[in-house]
Amino acid sequence: MRTSLNNIKTIEDHLFGYHAPGDALVFEARMILNSGLRDEVQQQQNTYDVIREYSRKRLKAEIAAVQTKLTHEPQHLGFMQKIINLFKK
Amino acid sequence: MAEQIFMRSAAEREVFFIGLYKKAFPAVARYVSRMGGSLEQAQDIFQDALVVYYEKVQAPGATVPQNEKAYLLGITKNLWSQAYKAACKNQPLDDMQADFEAVADEQPATNKLMHYLETAGQKCMDMLRAYYYDHLPAGDIATLFGYSGLRSATVAKYKCLEKVRDKVKENSLSYADFIE
Repeated sequence: MRTSLNNIKTIEDHLFGYHAPGDALVFEARMILNSGLRDEVQQQQNTYDVIREYSRKRLKAEIAAVQTKLTHEPQHLGFMQKIINLFKK
Repeated sequence: MAEQIFMRSAAEREVFFIGLYKKAFPAVARYVSRMGGSLEQAQDIFQDALVVYYEKVQAPGATVPQNEKAYLLGITKNLWSQAYKAACKNQPLDDMQADFEAVADEQPATNKLMHYLETAGQKCMDMLRAYYYDHLPAGDIATLFGYSGLRSATVAKYKCLEKVRDKVKENSLSYADFIE
């Protein structure tokens, strides 16, 4: 892998706790000395947060589609009717 | 506890969620109804509970609870009580969504960034989702996304991560420029 990708892997190993204890200490020392590295670590953490946000959004859309299917497909109508009845006053 | 399960496709997830609806939604709806909520609220809260449940069972090393119905009902009760407290404080419900492990200083992605990722970067994002959110085994990801082996899939993952990171960086810079 090219250097920039190896750097991404190293930061990932740090963020996910995959480093061996000795390597983790060295990495933390590098972060103290190098503000650029600290920024890169933060950017990569932000990237994982964005991936989670994107993934949740996609998963919610899949679940909403399941809900629509249960509401409209004939084989599930009996099930949904029982649910609707729970809300009848 | 049963062993961890992997859902490799949207079709497999659909079967999984339909099963959970059939098992747990009647109890959840009964609870919400008893608490004075509506059908729509029951549906919304159950959808959030399913997201929470999915994230729990897909986490590395996680196991599936044997009593899924009780587990989902527990999550729902928790979400309902949070929603009730938020409503008392007059906060919009969307602000207290099921983000149980919110990271400090997390900035929600802007709509512009999210739109870009959903369109131009979709293939990359779907692969990153498979790695970091669905936690699928690397071999399955290689097959799903058409890579010849683990190594090429891993390189592709880091290339995607780099591409998205640059976009996120660009976005955060323009955000910083905007607020300064």
